[in-house]
Amino acid sequence: MAPNRKLLYKGDVNRIYDDEYKAEQSAKKEKLFIRPTRQRKMKNAKWFAIGMGIDLPFCIILLILLTIGTIMMFSASYAFAYYTQNDSYYFLIRQLIFIAVGVFVMGVMSFFNYNKLHKIAPLVLGIAYVCLLIVLVLPAGDGGVRRWIPLGMFNIQPSEIAKFAVILFFAHWASKYYDKMQLAKFSVLPGVIVFGSIAMLLILEPHYSGIVIIGMLTVLMLYIGGMKTKYLLIGGVILVGLVLVLAVTGGLSYAMSRMDGWGQALEYTTEEMWQTTWQTRNSLYAIGSGGLWGLGLGQSRQKYLYLPEPQNDFIFAIVVEELGLIGAAIILLIFALLVWRGITLSLRSKDKFGKLLGIGLTSQIGIQVVLNILVITDWLPNTGISLPFFSYGGSSLIMLLAQMGIVLSISRTANIERQ
Amino acid sequence: MEDNKKKSTPPKKRADKGPNQRLRQRTAVLIILILVVGFGATLLRLSFLTMVQGSELQEKAVNQQLSDTVLTAKRGSIYDAKGTTLAESASVWQVVLAPINFTNDEQRQAAAKGLSEILGLDYENVLEKTKQQNYYTVVKRKIEVEQRDKVIELQEKLTKDYDCGAVIQLLDDYKRYYPKDDLASCVIGFTGADEQGLEGVEYKYDDYLSGTPGRIVTAKNARGTNMPFQFEQNVESQDGNNIYLTIDEGIQSICEKHMAQAIIDNNVLNRGVCIAMDVNTGAILAMVTANGYNLNDPYTLPTDTQLKIKELPEKEQDAEESKSLAAMWRNKCVADTYMPGSVFKMCTASMALEEGKITDSSRFTCGGYMRVEDYDIGCSVTSGHGTQTFLESFCHSCNPAFIQIGQLVGIDKFRDYYTAFGFSEKSGIDLPGEADDSFWPEGEMGMVDLAVASFGQNFNITPLSMITACAAVCNGGYVLQPYVVSKITDSHGNVIKTMEKKVKRQVISNETSKKMCDMLAAYPEANGASGGYVAGYKTGGKTGTSEKIGVEKKQSSFEKDYISSFCGIAPTDDPQIALLVFLDTPDGGAYYGSQIAAPIFINIMTELLPYLEIKTDYSDEDLAYLNVSMGDYTTLSVDEALKKAEADGFIATVVGSGSTVLSQIPTVSNQVAAGSSVVLYTEGNQPEKVTVPSFIGCAAYEANSVALEAGVNVSYNGAVSAGGVAVAQSIAEGAEVSRGTVISVTFAANTSEGNSD
Repeated sequence: MAPNRKLLYKGDVNRIYDDEYKAEQSAKKEKLFIRPTRQRKMKNAKWFAIGMGIDLPFCIILLILLTIGTIMMFSASYAFAYYTQNDSYYFLIRQLIFIAVGVFVMGVMSFFNYNKLHKIAPLVLGIAYVCLLIVLVLPAGDGGVRRWIPLGMFNIQPSEIAKFAVILFFAHWASKYYDKMQLAKFSVLPGVIVFGSIAMLLILEPHYSGIVIIGMLTVLMLYIGGMKTKYLLIGGVILVGLVLVLAVTGGLSYAMSRMDGWGQALEYTTEEMWQTTWQTRNSLYAIGSGGLWGLGLGQSRQKYLYLPEPQNDFIFAIVVEELGLIGAAIILLIFALLVWRGITLSLRSKDKFGKLLGIGLTSQIGIQVVLNILVITDWLPNTGISLPFFSYGGSSLIMLLAQMGIVLSISRTANIERQ
Repeated sequence: MEDNKKKSTPPKKRADKGPNQRLRQRTAVLIILILVVGFGATLLRLSFLTMVQGSELQEKAVNQQLSDTVLTAKRGSIYDAKGTTLAESASVWQVVLAPINFTNDEQRQAAAKGLSEILGLDYENVLEKTKQQNYYTVVKRKIEVEQRDKVIELQEKLTKDYDCGAVIQLLDDYKRYYPKDDLASCVIGFTGADEQGLEGVEYKYDDYLSGTPGRIVTAKNARGTNMPFQFEQNVESQDGNNIYLTIDEGIQSICEKHMAQAIIDNNVLNRGVCIAMDVNTGAILAMVTANGYNLNDPYTLPTDTQLKIKELPEKEQDAEESKSLAAMWRNKCVADTYMPGSVFKMCTASMALEEGKITDSSRFTCGGYMRVEDYDIGCSVTSGHGTQTFLESFCHSCNPAFIQIGQLVGIDKFRDYYTAFGFSEKSGIDLPGEADDSFWPEGEMGMVDLAVASFGQNFNITPLSMITACAAVCNGGYVLQPYVVSKITDSHGNVIKTMEKKVKRQVISNETSKKMCDMLAAYPEANGASGGYVAGYKTGGKTGTSEKIGVEKKQSSFEKDYISSFCGIAPTDDPQIALLVFLDTPDGGAYYGSQIAAPIFINIMTELLPYLEIKTDYSDEDLAYLNVSMGDYTTLSVDEALKKAEADGFIATVVGSGSTVLSQIPTVSNQVAAGSSVVLYTEGNQPEKVTVPSFIGCAAYEANSVALEAGVNVSYNGAVSAGGVAVAQSIAEGAEVSRGTVISVTFAANTSEGNSD
């Protein structure tokens, strides 16, 4: 779908678009899988070379995080696994299987020509919608929420697919209509339609943290996609208004019930509230117990059933308890490096689609890390947001690694350090 | 670089705003938002939680993670100087809950019902405890065996029916017992509900006695079972140390017995004090605040006090009760002050001697009173003592003479000695609540003040400091630090601390002290029983009758309220023990120290000195009234028996016509006066009956002849010599007894004469 150049602004700017367009076109002509030639390898026999191989720094940072994450997941989970599954290695073994699958998928995806995704972006969005609809007709799980599509060994979380679909779709859309993104009907309108519809489906699940993340991703993609800043500001005002309206009408009952205990986990008011804030309180206990240096790897006490499901969303509390502020800061630094590297390498992608897709996928990691930690430290209400590469969970991990595979694929074509 | 290429392209101006550049700018904003703002916020929040709130959160975490079981330490025992137990802790139990382990209300209700029934507690109250979310809630402490057994049954029942028996735990606890009830109550003190010392040695040595409670700290998971690794820590409880007092139970009970009797006899309104001190070490051998209270039941007032409180308006009852309790617990020996009165003359005399103001030719004239500035200060003998030597002044307890002696010493020296004797400082005894003295401040002491201070009026000191000074007067001049604890041993018996004699200073020389001993010895010699004369022993001392000045409301029926005291030592040639006796506000027949305090001194010393195995040293007069042991004349022939009885100094009468003595009255080993009669029976005759005469009012020398006349025998008791008169007899007048029966006659100082102070 070549952009209609007649619709472009007149003048010199066309030349730039031409360059990018040509790059896009040439990329499209390439095969489904990128196969670096021997000659290119020889010529650019550099470890960090892009354009022929994957970006090694990004890959190494990713593997370091995955390793630390798995160790911590095991440490956090084994007591829980021992008591609930009667097998301390229950979660470790499963997570290792997911990692094996995930890393394989990531490898495959890194060879996959991401430009092929350009075409299927609307299709992926469609699949996401289907999944979001399917989950609604399935029987409700714990607490009357419908978030998972059981698929034998592991479950699929449609909101995970939706996150990816939104990033992909807007990367596709913004690169396709980059010149028109200034216009509201090419930026705000699709944003409202896509996010609005997904949000409606997620409210039915309900999955409010999913809405928040998908909302943030939509805005992020439209922002870097070229949407006018003033729409962003207007959107912000509308959002605040909307939340207020919902809060008044009580439509946020489920979220509110979770928000009730927000910020008051440490004070005993009522028995019910004490139970509601149990998880957050014990998360704070764990973090506080860690101090500067932590209790030592494997020495967490809060994981002994005090912190419910310590291998999931609240895993980082156990990480701080065991490794202390120092350990937490180092892990945050590694995450930051991953995000930094991911965004900068994406910026050097040959084409707009790659740039937007790479930035979106890496930013998602950063956003989830920040939201996750703010939740476990009681600065945000307790609404299941998992910590990438740390939290236990098959579908989200495989999904994440597949997305990282795409970033790696982008890195192959990026001209980072080409010279 | 691509950037440079782009920048070098001609449409520079537009390129700056071009989509690629815009992407870069917006990406930069994005990175700032995520990495700087987002990650910065998380790091900030984590730093706050770990570094600022860390310890607080950690404490809360630990509280919930650890199941902390306190192991009560056994409180140490208190023994007297000879190892007799005065206070000990016995094992009892406490019932505690780990209510967090209850899983439903059915369990809670069943447990609360069972426990409230067994322990006699309120059901709602116990139910409330079962609802708490912790591992350690005390339901009841100090339960005895019977209740414990019932709790064990309840545990089994709950385990069977509700699967929650383990929630109830029985832990060791201890209860304090005082085997001697009220013995030395003012010294020992008692403990509170948590075994913390509240009074006396229990309070002062609480740190030593209490020991260190142990803990079993177990890490529990949220389900209440142990975490499956090395998370348990046992800190053994360390039993408290044992304390050995310098108090000797024997001496203490002798003193308490006579004090209690004296309180009754003299209708003493404000209790009495008796302190016995080892003059060479400062160790307190007995310390009595009469009457004491039952240490096993320290919160119960004497019945008469209770009745008085009940008569009060209801509003005032509580306040009055706590006031009365505090008064009952108060150790008068150290916590109250009094005016020592004439007893203090031993100090004034010491000063004058030490300062060389007294020579052999010193004479003091008494005209019945003495004028000092504008005041006439009277003597007890209004006609006056005339001209006296120093020793005579002391033995007369002559106030004008001592005013003159005080004037010889002078105000400054008098103050110096007052301080040196230790009156102005706390004695440092290891008992709580020692009171301060009250004396004239520097520069405010005038001649009138000196005059009255010379004979112990108008300043207040504690009884303890008086006896400490008395010890200094007779022990060579050394002011000692009194103490009641001799040693501390750990629970295995190893000595961890021994209290040593502590000399604070020497206030008078050995020579002066020697002279003072002779003076103190002269006082009973001169005054007999009213001066504290103890037959067979060289005792010395000084009586005192001090007016209570500044009392809010006169309590006694006398013109004024008085404190009658006696402070003495024994033996005077080698002083071992000092004894201070005082009665606060007697309201009986008499109030002079010579009348009511001296007899207590005599009675206590008469028992105490043999107990201490001090060698006897009878005067001729004493010997005349010494009891002797009745010999054994049975199975002898009449002739032999008569011969032997005569040789033993008894007047024998034979009844019957047999040739052999079958029985005798008094029987063998009976203690009787020398020259008593003995009736020897040679046939199985019924003993002849005689009527018991009255001995009351007889002097010792009269008693035996009265007895012989009536056909009975006497056995001397009490202050026989030195002018004592019979005050009691063991068998009442008029009773029919067998001829020869021994009647124990008690003599006491004649209260109708010799009020020398």
